[in-house]
Amino acid sequence: MVLLQVNAISKGFGELKAVRDVSFSIGSSEVVGLLGPNGSGKSTLMKIMVGILKPDLGTIQMLDSNVAAKPTKAKMMVGFVPESPRLYEFLTGIEYLDFVSDLYGLDRSAKSDRISEFLKALDLEGRENELIHGYSQGMKQKLAIIAAMLHRPKILILDEPLNALDPRSARIVKELIHKFRDEGVPTIFSTHVLEIAEAICDRLIIMYQGKIIAEGTAEQLKTKAGSAGSTLEEVFLKLTGTSDTREIVEALWR
Amino acid sequence: MRARAVYRLAAVLTKSQLRGNQRGRIFTRWLSKTYTILLVDVTLISLLGGLGYAAFSTYLPTGSTMALQGTELQGLTAIPAATSFAVILLGILGELSQSLQSSSTDLVNWLPISPSEYVAGSTLSLAYTYSFLPSLLLGASLGPALFFGQSNVWLASVAMSTVSLLIGASIVEMLRSITNRISSSFYKRSGRSGIILRLGLTILVLVFFQLLFSGQIIVYVLRAIVQTVEAVWFIPVIWPSIAVQAVAEGLSVPLLFGLLSLSFSFALFVVAVILRTRYWIPVPVSIKINSKPYSPSVAKVRIPGITSAESAIFRKDLRSLIRRREMARFLAIPFVLAASMAISLSQIGTASGSSLNLAATIPLFLIPIAVFCEVLSMTSIGQEGYAVWNIYVAPLETNQFLKAKMLLTTILGVVFTFAMLIAITFFVNPAGSDILLLFGLGIVVVLEESAFGLYIAAKFPDFREMVRSRYVTIWGSLLGMFLGIAIALLTATPLLLQPLFADLTAELVTATFAIGLLVCLICWKVTVRQTKLLFENILI
Repeated sequence: MVLLQVNAISKGFGELKAVRDVSFSIGSSEVVGLLGPNGSGKSTLMKIMVGILKPDLGTIQMLDSNVAAKPTKAKMMVGFVPESPRLYEFLTGIEYLDFVSDLYGLDRSAKSDRISEFLKALDLEGRENELIHGYSQGMKQKLAIIAAMLHRPKILILDEPLNALDPRSARIVKELIHKFRDEGVPTIFSTHVLEIAEAICDRLIIMYQGKIIAEGTAEQLKTKAGSAGSTLEEVFLKLTGTSDTREIVEALWR
Repeated sequence: MRARAVYRLAAVLTKSQLRGNQRGRIFTRWLSKTYTILLVDVTLISLLGGLGYAAFSTYLPTGSTMALQGTELQGLTAIPAATSFAVILLGILGELSQSLQSSSTDLVNWLPISPSEYVAGSTLSLAYTYSFLPSLLLGASLGPALFFGQSNVWLASVAMSTVSLLIGASIVEMLRSITNRISSSFYKRSGRSGIILRLGLTILVLVFFQLLFSGQIIVYVLRAIVQTVEAVWFIPVIWPSIAVQAVAEGLSVPLLFGLLSLSFSFALFVVAVILRTRYWIPVPVSIKINSKPYSPSVAKVRIPGITSAESAIFRKDLRSLIRRREMARFLAIPFVLAASMAISLSQIGTASGSSLNLAATIPLFLIPIAVFCEVLSMTSIGQEGYAVWNIYVAPLETNQFLKAKMLLTTILGVVFTFAMLIAITFFVNPAGSDILLLFGLGIVVVLEESAFGLYIAAKFPDFREMVRSRYVTIWGSLLGMFLGIAIALLTATPLLLQPLFADLTAELVTATFAIGLLVCLICWKVTVRQTKLLFENILI
């Protein structure tokens, strides 16, 4: 079943065309990795999918809702973590999660149970009554991830979710993503760590200069790039035309 | 110490200070060169000096020369002391709104700059930034000084004001290191009570200095400084003023006090360097608010028609107002406005005996309410800062978001209206019907301003987080203040006309409330439309 349908999306900021005619779909029980160099349009596309940026052209269909026409309904179904999430630093961790739960209309017992479970799982227990102001970047990232998952979304959209996480927490988040997939909740997430993408994604989408340049499983991409035995990093650099790293380093060294 | 590094650092810090204050692109681009600041100062002094001289030469009435000459000398003597005082004050206000987190992650902490270079650069930057203050005073006093042949005293005042500028800037540098250190230790121990104490102290400081800067009090302070200069010769901050006074009186000690002032300035610089070396990077602290185990929030008082999402935003905003250091300035507004109104009302009360002069009282009563609610409301969206994405991604309808935002402003506005009514009752003893009328009018204005302020907040939001964030663009805030006051006065117009149409009082009251209701509805409609537009595209 298709849960998210991206139809011919384009978005520009003045002269800059951030996303150009992008289309793909995501079915339930799928983990999709969105890859691409910095500035390739991944974050812009994710913001459009969540409904916080209006596309210039194209539509996003989430289950039976058009995101632009019914943004509130669509937002209710999504769990979103932006790149470098900024939180309300004057709230404590627990107050922030309580606030988010209320925005999604969770009842008292549901929010109590879920918040406690997540805090324990991600090692935030004991620090929940401190102001977020004093949290490390990794702790803030964990809080944002919990906030995205608290209301049991129907789809997860995560922009570099594993940034700043310690290995244990990163592992838990990866397993949570798989758990959600097993329950029929798909995830689309962006990352620059290709090993992670290869390890946990069922399908990969590579973007470059606002366009999708390749799509498929890691093996399919390797075949497409004509380098079946090579690593995903080599394939990525070849597809995005950025494989001239050795020359760049040599030039810098001179 | 490398002079070039100090100069470059001073230039960068000045740029950062000016851009942080968002005074417009052209303004900051032009003033980002340090020599242009000096040029502005020289122009300011020359222009004001020329105008002053022309005015004195043309309009000075005969017979008033002696008295004016004395006042001019008093002014020239007071300028150095006033300069260091003003720099310290503005520095304190700046420091109050800077977070420990931003101090600890300051880029300069990681650059290859020594503490003495940093303190010298930062002191110079503060001196550049605030040099317009002595320039204004020196410019204003140049004309009369030339006219009365006191140019030697004026030159002494220029030299000593420059020293005072450095004294003030060095003291601010010391305060920076000390306040960061104290904040770290204080909050580590005190948690929630520390936050409340900080809020109270911040409001107290802001109110104190705001009132201090009201015209009458400045005159009083300047006079007091001049009269007590000789008596307090042992206070080092006064030494530059004593040197100027000695020049004015033809005494032989100006050089001594001049040298003492320079030595004092150098000593302060050394202390500032020592403090900076010791507390180079302040430690951001974790503030524990509560040690009880988690229990989900439940609204203590259920307000009919308010959903859990709206209530959550309301609670968050209330915490923001109480806990954020930079928000204290908004809470100080009602105290300052109420004090100004009390002074004016005491004069009205005295002039008109015990009966209330409604036409004179209404503007004094409504304008502070309008200003307070307008400021709170028009900053309420921008103060979400970069965390506003939380609101963008939440499944919230525009009306829900606006209702929650309006609720806080309305509640605080109503409390302030009560406080103002109590003050009025205390000063002018009005009739019961007048109190009721004023209360009704106050509530209408609270609603109008809360709704209109949100329109400005949605149309001109500023989500940038920096030292002294405004939360609304400069044009937005000017427009909001101007139109906000205009709306309040427009609503009250029928009642202000009451002295002319005394027999139509009932009709005028009805017209006032009808206008108020209409303005509220229009403001709400345009605000909803504007906020929908804002939520179409995230701005950060």
